[in-house]
Amino acid sequence: MARVILAFNKKVIKEYPFVKESMAIGRDDRNDIVIDNLAVSSLHARIDKTGDNYIITDLQSTNGTFVNNKQITSHKLQHKDKIIIGKHLLFFAMSKEEQAKVKKEALDKTMILDTSKQKELLAKRADKVVEKEKIGVISFIDGSSEGEIKLGKKLTKIGKAETSEIKLSGLFMPPTAATISRRPNGYAITSAGGRTKVKVNDEVIKESHFLKDFDTIEVGSYKFQFYTIDSGDKK
Amino acid sequence: MEIKAAGLSDVGLKRDGNEDAFAMDDSIGLYIVADGMGGHLAGEVASNVAVQIIQKNINYWIAKNSPEDELFDFPDGTLSRTGNYISSSIKLANRVIYEMSKGYREYKGMGTTIVVLAVMPNSVIAANVGDSRIYLIRDDTIEPLSKEHNLVAEQLEMGLISKEEAEISPLRHILTRNLGFSDIVDADLFEIEPMNDDRFLLCTDGLTDLVSDDEILKIVKNGDDPEHLCHQLVSEANKRGGNDNITVSLIFVNTQDDKRQGIIGKFANFFNKKK
Repeated sequence: MARVILAFNKKVIKEYPFVKESMAIGRDDRNDIVIDNLAVSSLHARIDKTGDNYIITDLQSTNGTFVNNKQITSHKLQHKDKIIIGKHLLFFAMSKEEQAKVKKEALDKTMILDTSKQKELLAKRADKVVEKEKIGVISFIDGSSEGEIKLGKKLTKIGKAETSEIKLSGLFMPPTAATISRRPNGYAITSAGGRTKVKVNDEVIKESHFLKDFDTIEVGSYKFQFYTIDSGDKK
Repeated sequence: MEIKAAGLSDVGLKRDGNEDAFAMDDSIGLYIVADGMGGHLAGEVASNVAVQIIQKNINYWIAKNSPEDELFDFPDGTLSRTGNYISSSIKLANRVIYEMSKGYREYKGMGTTIVVLAVMPNSVIAANVGDSRIYLIRDDTIEPLSKEHNLVAEQLEMGLISKEEAEISPLRHILTRNLGFSDIVDADLFEIEPMNDDRFLLCTDGLTDLVSDDEILKIVKNGDDPEHLCHQLVSEANKRGGNDNITVSLIFVNTQDDKRQGIIGKFANFFNKKK
């Protein structure tokens, strides 16, 4: 069994055997390892056991978490690692059997970690620094009075077809003139390749084009503007 | 629409068994790759079970044109009907693997990643759970159509670490989502419009850990025979150590002969026929 030894001013305060799947460290009473010191955040860091490995994660603490004098976000703990939180030292120690096991285990073995709780905590703190998930919006500039359309679908079709999310009319408008897809790297508009020209910022696009905030889009005689807003729900 | 596809799975140079699995179904344009995990033979079982369940159910639902509310899970309004078939089949496979791992001692802790690609004339749908990947190669660019569910990728997205830190992090192999770990799972899905000459690559981390995106792009662009290019990708990973099982599947799309749309398109098709 692994242990965490809490020390302050070169004196051992307490030893914590690792009996659970994870141990929380912080100033609050809710934590498994409570450090009552103002330099320590109420929920400061967490150590998770995944298989035979132990991973420490800093929960966006004010003063940070250091392992062997290096600031970390997440770190795989090794036997004899020194964790510094505030002015306290936490010494991480594994049993002989565990050390042997970890050595034997290939470093690149895939593991799974239950991060739901950790993610909640991180998300709560990350809110302050990281932008929320954005959702794209198309607003008509002229050619119609439809106003704003939120791009809620993964693939938005623009054209004459009844099934189009953004329906346009006109004699020469094809069933689908363009599509906007939500991809890992952002929103991209794709011309369907018909006779109806698709322009972004006055330039005709041949295939795909990643959209930026306030890009203007033209499909035939219709004109739109693209921008993103904060979405209410976060996945 | 014409599709040329190939797939290849290789044990690599360091592992005893192959825990990857893949399936190709050209009749409906469905391609699946899975990377199993778990002791003894459990990883192999998980990846094969996932691939089979997903393939069978999507086939069945497409054949019956099942309405969204008859699927395994509640429909997702942001997805097309086929998108919901894929999402639901992944949730079903997850539940089966989860129940198996709870019910049998030899399957305890087993799981698998999954990537699914459906190529249809009007849309291409990409879905994934875990750290296997789907790439779109269009013109001279390569871009992901999958999201990585591991600790490093999530911290990168939250802005807690930099891209440079992420690339060298030893924590890349810690997944935050897979099939079999919990009773429910959400896949990430993307739908795009196919373009002529689009190329798609489905692969496991046995390739991406050793071969960079730019190098993959170079290989995939280096010819027109998907089977030959699959061999090149696998041998490149093996040349660099072959640390893990390597599975790749390449899908080349040709839409040149598709009917043109709109009034002018109809005229053009009409005149083409006359010729």
